Amino acid sequence: MGALTRERDVREAYAAHSGELYGFAVRSLGDAGLAEEAVQETFLRAWRAGDRFDPEIGSLRTWLFAILRNVVIDLGRARAARPRVAESGIEPSVEPFEQALLAWQVEEAMRRIGEDHRRVLLETHFRARPYSEVAAELGVPEGTIKSRVYYGLRALRVALEEMGYED
Amino acid sequence: MRTEDHRDRKLALGAYALGDLPPDERAAVAAHLEGCEECRAELRSLEGVAALLPLADPARIEGPAARPPADLGARIEAQIAAESAREGRQRRRRRFRLGVGGAVAAAAVAAVLAIAILPLGGGGAGESSPAQQVNFASLPNGVSINATLEPHAFGTEIEMYVSGIRSGTLCRVFLRDAKGRTYSAGSFRYRWGADSHAKLSSALDLSQAAEIGVHAGSRTFTAPVGQATALVGGADTAAT
Ligand SMILES: [Zn+2]
Repeated sequence: MGALTRERDVREAYAAHSGELYGFAVRSLGDAGLAEEAVQETFLRAWRAGDRFDPEIGSLRTWLFAILRNVVIDLGRARAARPRVAESGIEPSVEPFEQALLAWQVEEAMRRIGEDHRRVLLETHFRARPYSEVAAELGVPEGTIKSRVYYGLRALRVALEEMGYED
Repeated sequence: MRTEDHRDRKLALGAYALGDLPPDERAAVAAHLEGCEECRAELRSLEGVAALLPLADPARIEGPAARPPADLGARIEAQIAAESAREGRQRRRRRFRLGVGGAVAAAAVAAVLAIAILPLGGGGAGESSPAQQVNFASLPNGVSINATLEPHAFGTEIEMYVSGIRSGTLCRVFLRDAKGRTYSAGSFRYRWGADSHAKLSSALDLSQAAEIGVHAGSRTFTAPVGQATALVGGADTAAT
């Protein structure tokens, strides 16, 4: 796909990336209605600036997330400007967005890996349960839990790389 | 013997990266890493991911993934189509103004005037009727239809912008005059993925047009044209 100048380009971009953009927008804004607004605005801005998108420079996904980032910041400002929330007076800064994006990507990657791997990582890492206990609960040898942790991390890495992660 | 050791140690690298191994096994893995380049590289790759894990919120991982409303795409598409229709008109207007206002070359001016005057002279059906923008109101959620009508010597040129309907739908466009007589403007097939914009023409003079309509699949949408009162009635005799 070249520049995003035809309506069809936008349609294809929407089919490929709206799920992720929306998922992240919900997490970031904490509100489904605002997230919808953010995704809509993102694609409108993408279309208006479509001739500036250059696939040689970066992926469409990265570009769309960069637009969403600005939209989320704008929406955050608009929300902060409303009298009810104004007392906090905190300008949304860059850092929380990058943090939130990374956190969401890890969560999304966890959703994408196999159920066996996800389950084991959730129990041992997030719930800090001993491997032996999880092994007994699942009725498998402890060594299996250990290797699932290994393959789970590898799968997670692949899923993250699909989302543009590199270290 | 040594390859078996390597295999076991490698499978423990995930737990090692996450700091989950008991001290004795941790020491054994560390000793293996000293002498195994492959495991060291593997560990580096796992450590990057392991460091990110604490960012995630387990409740969000297990919760249902947020999915956008089914009609969001169609709504965005409709908005873009409307904007694109507006822009197209502005471009045309800009072009026109440039030709007349600039008056750089007499030939250019003459060409523009010819285009502007010919339809009126040739049509003979009343005075100037400028191009009109028609928006279809009361459409189903997510559907957007609008049209630009331009007067010509042969009748009316219609540019239609459709979005939000099912791909493959046959759209038959028509004009009606104030007496309810129907004049076909031709048909097109709406394709998801193709330009949602079709150029059609009808023999009815724009000044006589009271209504524009589209049969889209089994449904018919209509909108009044100009100041004329829309009259619905009369059979659609001009089905294509
Ligand atoms: Zn090794």
